[in-house]
Amino acid sequence: MDMNMQNTPKITKESKNKIRVEFDRTPLKERLKAKFLNLYFFQRVAWIIFRMALLVGISYVVLFPFVSKIAGSFMSPEDFVDVTVRLIPKNFTLDIYKAVLFELDYGEAFVNTLIISLLCGLLQTFVCCLIGYGLAKFRFKGNSLIMMLVILTMIVPHQTLQLSMFMHFRYFDVLGILSFLSGGASVGFMPDSFNELLAGIQLFQLQDNALALTNTYWPLAILSVTGLAFKNGLYIFMLRQFFTGVPDALEESAYIDGSGVFRTFFTIILPLSIPMMVTVFLFAFCWQWTDDFYTETFFNSSKITLMPDIVKVPKSLDIQYAGKEVYEEAIRNTCGLCIIMPLVILYSFGQNFLVQGIERSGLTAE
Amino acid sequence: MTNEAKLQHTVSAPKAKKRKIASLDKKKARAGWVFVLPFIIGFLLVYLPIIWDSIYMTFHSISIVDGGGIDLLPVGFENYSDALTEDPHFVQTLLTGMKELLFDVPAILIFSLFMAVLLNQKMVGRAVFRAIFFIPVILSTGIMESIAGANMLGTMMEGSGSIDGSQQSAASEIVSVMDIEKLFYSMKIGQGLVEYVAKMINEIYDIVNRSGVQMLIFLAGLQSISPAIYEACRIDGCTAWETFWKITFPMISPMILVNGIYTIIDSFTTDSNSVMRYIRSVYDKGTEGQVLSSAMAWMYFIIVMLMLAAAAGLFSAFVFYQRRD
Repeated sequence: MDMNMQNTPKITKESKNKIRVEFDRTPLKERLKAKFLNLYFFQRVAWIIFRMALLVGISYVVLFPFVSKIAGSFMSPEDFVDVTVRLIPKNFTLDIYKAVLFELDYGEAFVNTLIISLLCGLLQTFVCCLIGYGLAKFRFKGNSLIMMLVILTMIVPHQTLQLSMFMHFRYFDVLGILSFLSGGASVGFMPDSFNELLAGIQLFQLQDNALALTNTYWPLAILSVTGLAFKNGLYIFMLRQFFTGVPDALEESAYIDGSGVFRTFFTIILPLSIPMMVTVFLFAFCWQWTDDFYTETFFNSSKITLMPDIVKVPKSLDIQYAGKEVYEEAIRNTCGLCIIMPLVILYSFGQNFLVQGIERSGLTAE
Repeated sequence: MTNEAKLQHTVSAPKAKKRKIASLDKKKARAGWVFVLPFIIGFLLVYLPIIWDSIYMTFHSISIVDGGGIDLLPVGFENYSDALTEDPHFVQTLLTGMKELLFDVPAILIFSLFMAVLLNQKMVGRAVFRAIFFIPVILSTGIMESIAGANMLGTMMEGSGSIDGSQQSAASEIVSVMDIEKLFYSMKIGQGLVEYVAKMINEIYDIVNRSGVQMLIFLAGLQSISPAIYEACRIDGCTAWETFWKITFPMISPMILVNGIYTIIDSFTTDSNSVMRYIRSVYDKGTEGQVLSSAMAWMYFIIVMLMLAAAAGLFSAFVFYQRRD
């Protein structure tokens, strides 16, 4: 009883807004002991250390191939036969980079790929937004059927369609309109000079009563505009989930204020979904940049140099010696590094959006 | 009279209202069609003919005519029977591919869920780890993948190169599989599980590489779970283990379904898949091979569709949906 009385703090009122409390604090040593010398704390520390070790380990697994590729790209031929060299080159040289960048038309490939990737990225982002919004916010007949078709385009592997896709764009003729116009004649109905003009500006060529769209940017543009290009099903799905999460009240208030469906979409919904759009653009741009399937299919005999065309050994580095195979591997890796260099820069700016966009999307399955 | 008028009034008013609602709905439905129009046009005019041609051509033999055109000869199911009976590698590759798929899907799902839970916790350097983990999603596709494939071939031929930037070395340098196996055997858990874990560790690079999108989807799902539930759990004295199995797992189960399906699709359409690689190598053999490869791809597609249906049925039995009011 007495002890209790002693321990209760003594409160004195100093002024109107101020009180003074006097009590015996537990000594520092005791407090620290209570805080740190218990099982809970040990468990936490052990878990934090374990988690850190795991994350650092897996980061190492992710980064190591890049590190070793970078290391290899600075080595000179002698280093590849030297057993003592592993990650740090003995004879530091920029020869491989010089050869890749200047001998292999890197600049041309860069510009062409940039045009294609920008074209595809922007078109796909916009079109997938449209389709995703239409599927998310409008309950019309056949809505779920179209969603099923979108998923179908996602799961049919594009290798299955490689041949027919090539054929289709090599002899592009929607519903047989062109062959109808030419009356089924085997010669083209356009004069040759017109054809040459078209070929000159690399738009398309008329051949065998059909447009030859291969070796031009058209096939990719057509696939992008219709939401059928690489992984577009995934983008449509992601955007549909995102738009489902946007509250209907927003649009309803816009409708009441007299805004039409399209105006609402462009002035209210699109600005709202910029993080998500950046995410989709990042995916579309990067995957188109490193793509070698469509470029191989559509640009098979082309004058347009693209990124996959520069993955080869430059002439000046083609030398005969013991470590040739490893050396050529390092050269190919350097080509790869040069290809993804712009993407690394883009990623370092965009990765924040990538994570946030997906997190905010409230991606939930129904 | 008045009664009748009243009646008419009460009847007609909702009628008029109803018609108005219907017209708005119709308007919205029409707008919906306009939004999805690009896809419908593309699907009908471009995609459907491509798919039709692809199936059609698998029933034909193809040869190039001198003029530059192609000649199709109907041969029935010959391409399919050729692929199954005459091609020495196809059936074998198909079986290994299936086995790979059965191994990969659970491994990727478990790994990505685990990593998403880890990356969702508050800690120092979370942003950095996230940035690192999503690098493979962006960078290790297409060309990089095929270059890496060439590397693997190189290292295989070579035994052990001096700077092999290949994946196996990265993983095996951290832990040797033998050690892990010994450790797990001494823990007396089933041999199948030990082999599974050992294989998972052996292929950790591949798994990390392919679980980026899944991690993102799981992260999004984890973010949508209300923190109040976790708080209530903590107050009731749940351990972290119990919280995971009783709260996180059921709440994330719809995501597991989505990710499971996505992983199956992704791992069988990716270029590094052994069946796909084989089909591609057949495609490169010339016009005959091109038709044959289409037939193979369609067969593979049907098998994977069946697997997909089975997986979707199996997963969806365990999915828990939180009712939203």
